[in-house]
Amino acid sequence: MSQPLEGTFSAEHSARLLRQYRYVVERTMRALGGWIALTPELSAKLLMGRHVWDLAQHCDAFGQRLPELRSHAQVSEAANPAVATFMDSLEDAEGPDQTVERLVGVYVVLKPHLLATYRDHLAHANPVYEPPTRRILARCIDDEERHIAAGDTILKYLAAGPRVIDRVSARRRHLDGLLAAAGGVTGAGLPMREALDVAVGQAELVGQAELSDDGREFIRLERATGAWPIPADLEKAQRSFADALVAGDDTALARLLVPGLELETTAWALLRGTSYSHHVTVAFARLGHQRLVKTRLDGPSSSATVLARWVSSPEGWRIAALDVAGRDGVRPA
Amino acid sequence: MDRPIAYDKLAREERFVRMRAREVAELKVAQGLPPFPDLSSRESIKERVHGIMVGELQAMEGAGRSVCDFPDAPWDFTMDMARQVWDESRHVEIYLRLLEHLDGYAGEYPETTILWRCACAEDAAARVAGVNRGLEGLACDVFNQLVHIARKIGDPVLERAVDFVLADEITHVRMGSKWLTKLTEGDAERRRRAIEFQESIDERFNLGGVRREGDHDAVSISIATDVRRMAGFTEEEIERLIKTTQRSQVY
Repeated sequence: MSQPLEGTFSAEHSARLLRQYRYVVERTMRALGGWIALTPELSAKLLMGRHVWDLAQHCDAFGQRLPELRSHAQVSEAANPAVATFMDSLEDAEGPDQTVERLVGVYVVLKPHLLATYRDHLAHANPVYEPPTRRILARCIDDEERHIAAGDTILKYLAAGPRVIDRVSARRRHLDGLLAAAGGVTGAGLPMREALDVAVGQAELVGQAELSDDGREFIRLERATGAWPIPADLEKAQRSFADALVAGDDTALARLLVPGLELETTAWALLRGTSYSHHVTVAFARLGHQRLVKTRLDGPSSSATVLARWVSSPEGWRIAALDVAGRDGVRPA
Repeated sequence: MDRPIAYDKLAREERFVRMRAREVAELKVAQGLPPFPDLSSRESIKERVHGIMVGELQAMEGAGRSVCDFPDAPWDFTMDMARQVWDESRHVEIYLRLLEHLDGYAGEYPETTILWRCACAEDAAARVAGVNRGLEGLACDVFNQLVHIARKIGDPVLERAVDFVLADEITHVRMGSKWLTKLTEGDAERRRRAIEFQESIDERFNLGGVRREGDHDAVSISIATDVRRMAGFTEEEIERLIKTTQRSQVY
């Protein structure tokens, strides 16, 4: 600007932009809060848990600035109905097996767009009479850079594998299309592609130095279990049990039960006849002197998770209870 | 979005084993063990820490649902719940690290969802009364005792980390007291129902007499009367809680 007091926005326009930001940020904050309980993966839970509060503070800052711009405090406004449609679609991934879709919507589509939009706004907000707005935008930009970096790290971890990568692409295409149709969160069009790329690139750099919501640390905590301390004799009995489940060998299974427990009265009756090709131990827990072992059975058309409670006896480890913990259950991401 | 969600939609990785609290307690008693870890050994402390980690996880999930489920509540209510989500997510991280410190791992003991069920109350006032005052009050008792035990056994890592978590929990109880009052202003019936819900949770979490008034070393969970006062519980409320622990038989 050649003249320091030359400005791009009216106060009214500035207030409208803040209401429009507040609309998408508030909905995103509420969605992230609600999704934590619906998301199985610990790393993604922690990621969302960290960012809900930052987004609440962004909303609050936008909302408190509004009366200073002759508008009502804490009011949100969708730029147009298509923005509301975009947000409806972003929020609709509520299944326990849709963590990737949730993360793509927030961390790959919306947040990079918001970051570029905030940067664009900051570049055009007058430094003499708009410092209150500029300070808010600067704080939001810092947070969004960190969020995007952390989200990218978790998404790369959860979205390994070609089928999941296809889901990422499909989800991104769908939401990118809706966002473009809305003209971005302000309805005024998407910021320049270059601005988006610069924003994402800088976010990756910032994220590497950040500790409080470092996605790598969330992943480490998720994977920290290592090898389960299963006693050798129990591991042997567990393998025989799981092999018998896959083989459908009732006689071998019955031999592993404590005296008095009939195979027919256990949950095995629900699974008998289903074809499973392999098994994997997915959980190992202590219950006093007893042990709980969860086994996932996978077959060509179905899967099941079986929970066995093992007790140690003079004859070796035996199963005191056998339950089906889940059928055709949700797999990670 | 679905608001609120059914309690059985709580999502977990496969490595967690979910069981009913009553079943866990009964199976332990049948083995001649206390129904609730009594902090008498490092193994017992680890089991307690695991239970707290799972509780923090459910508290984070519950506070997150409060952010999501009540879009028409006052904005400041949402702010407090969002802050609590952040606090609880850090608490989960702290307790995951404490589990590592104690050579444990996530999923080492069964998870019970009794806390999460309490966080599914449909009314916001009942939810803050039950979760922020009932459950976070219990957390004050448990953490205050854990800080004491950690100091006694010379574990500064455990002592310092839990001390900071306790400070957050006191703040959460205060939030609960504030919002119980504000949300039920001019609606005595709503307030009565919310307090009744909180008292039912207090009763449930007396854990069959496990929580009691007494010395940290003498009882499994000692009621932290000083901390509760600091958090804003009245003398009458503390007295009533102590009385209920003397007759509670359920867990």
